[in-house]
Amino acid sequence: MPNIKLFANLRNVAGAKEVSIMGTSVGAVVSELTKWNPALAGHLLENGQIRPHVIITINGHPTSDMEAPVTEQDQIAIFPPITGG
Amino acid sequence: MNGWNGKILEINLTALTYKTYPLDMEIAQQFLGGRGLGARLLWDLVGPEVNPLAPENVLIFTNGPLTATGYQTSNRFSVTTKSPLTGTVLDANSGGFWGMQFKKTGYDVMIVRGKAKSPVWIEIKSGEVTFHDAGDLWGMRVYALTEKLGQDNNRRNVLCIGPAGENLSRIAAIMNDRERALARGGPGAVMGSKNLKAIVVEGKERPDIADQDQFKFMLYETRKLLAASPLTSQALPEFGTVVLMNIMNNIGALPTRNHQQTQFEGAEEISGETLTEKYLVKNSACWACPIGCTRISKTEKVEGEGPEFETTWAFGAQCGIADLAAIIEVNSLCNDLGLDTISAGSTIACAMELSEKGYVDSELRFGRADLLACSVEDMAYRRDLGADMAEGSLRMATKYGHPELSMSAKGMEFPAYDPRGMQGQGLLYATSNRGGCHMRGNMVGLEVLGLPKLIDRFQVQGKSSFVILNQNSNAAIDSLVVCKFTNMGVADEYFARVLSAVTGIQYATGEMIKVGERVWNLERLYNIREGFTRKDDTLPARLLNEAPTEGPSKGWVVQLEPMLKEYYRSRGWDENGIPTPKKLADLKLADL
Repeated sequence: MPNIKLFANLRNVAGAKEVSIMGTSVGAVVSELTKWNPALAGHLLENGQIRPHVIITINGHPTSDMEAPVTEQDQIAIFPPITGG
Repeated sequence: MNGWNGKILEINLTALTYKTYPLDMEIAQQFLGGRGLGARLLWDLVGPEVNPLAPENVLIFTNGPLTATGYQTSNRFSVTTKSPLTGTVLDANSGGFWGMQFKKTGYDVMIVRGKAKSPVWIEIKSGEVTFHDAGDLWGMRVYALTEKLGQDNNRRNVLCIGPAGENLSRIAAIMNDRERALARGGPGAVMGSKNLKAIVVEGKERPDIADQDQFKFMLYETRKLLAASPLTSQALPEFGTVVLMNIMNNIGALPTRNHQQTQFEGAEEISGETLTEKYLVKNSACWACPIGCTRISKTEKVEGEGPEFETTWAFGAQCGIADLAAIIEVNSLCNDLGLDTISAGSTIACAMELSEKGYVDSELRFGRADLLACSVEDMAYRRDLGADMAEGSLRMATKYGHPELSMSAKGMEFPAYDPRGMQGQGLLYATSNRGGCHMRGNMVGLEVLGLPKLIDRFQVQGKSSFVILNQNSNAAIDSLVVCKFTNMGVADEYFARVLSAVTGIQYATGEMIKVGERVWNLERLYNIREGFTRKDDTLPARLLNEAPTEGPSKGWVVQLEPMLKEYYRSRGWDENGIPTPKKLADLKLADL
């Protein structure tokens, strides 16, 4: 199962920094994640789509493609909307 | 008059006199205030013959037409001077309360000229200026001095230098409201060179507003926009700016050990999440700011503001240090001594590499958190290797025969984004008018965070147009002056409507970006007059030739040359990076 790392307030909501979730695409992984912890849905989804400014990376590469394939070896990171500098 | 006060205060420290005169409103309308107005005035006042640390250099403090109106984040102000670190035009910008209070003294601009025979401090109350002997204050650190001179956030505000500025460190900051900093480029050294220890302001005047009803509506709308944005209502208040640490590390764009790597194994320990969990006491905010991104953090030794992301990175990943308590403490020490934390941390990292490679005889090594505090003290007092570090990383590395180990552009140390993993950021650093800086534009929004949309961070072609828009937008916001974080919830063009309501002058859609472009080109002209050329629009060889060997940015170097050519063309400049007469005429800069 792909390994998912959570950051910022997603950790507080999920009660975990890291979780392994089934799924063969980014969209499928997010869907499974919100089933595992429904409280995450409000932070990640809006009208069934990924919320604006939620950042998802696969092996360190940001993607906005929910169809992007993922494998068991992939590291997925999910960040809520963040900024700074 | 609406928005602006319409008055300049000019102080002559050599004679200990002052005078006031009207602000040229044609210039004010074209350059607004803050950074833009400061650059325009500097053009007339300081030519290429002036050494930045000579009495002939000036400090130009500017607020803007929105300052102190009560518009969200209208607390900021600028200081403009010729930089002793880079030799370029410099403006440094700060928040807190001092800028608002300065505007309430009745002035838009304060020009400080000359050099006092002995240390002085200046008090401005209700427009009157008093010169005080500062003999007994010289040598004092920032926190004690700020308290002694009566800092009271909403009534009386203190701006000062610490020992670093007195000792003419080229990376010395001017501090205001205790822990806010006009940090970059060494303005504290210019103030020290003038024997000026502090400027205290007290004022009661409020700027007039042309259309009160419209302005109140804009306040209401802005409040709603900032509350609706997850960035300004959640991300910044909850985790502050340091929340960027983990994502920059995740994508392999977190400069580590003086940019030798692009990922830091200790990033989690110095992240915003760890800061919030272990050290956060509460949030704080500047005047009229509903965002409140400031962290008040506490260790066993200190309690105070910060650290911000750039500071945490500079003393953290860049120095190979994963001890967040030590970073919080050295941040506090830098504020007390009056040092720019980005340049201080990055200069120590450069010294660590020089030392590890045997070019400098020193104990400094990456990871030595125990040496941070004494290194910063040595820097402020110019002791031992600290005397070299006080000159900034480029002068220090050059002295020891290895200028290529200074991670800087035009002599200013970079902030926390490795451009090998963000091509646009590389172009932005190389073309920045004040050197390696993320406040002249920052591509992290577009290239990493998807703000407002995600673009390919490794793409080269077409990147210049994004960089130019970013630079122009930042120049406009710095001239209003408001906080750039407001722009996370409020679009550039919205500011034109606010400006119109406040000043009564109709700023059309697109005018804000035009103002920003005018400011950018003027700053470019200033640097060209100082002798800067195309060859100065570059980056250290490490970033151009040494690709990371692992991580998500593996194999990438900055593809600067094709981006630079495209950038000059898109800017309307010639192949040598000089603005064309047509461009200057279009921006109403033809007479310069």
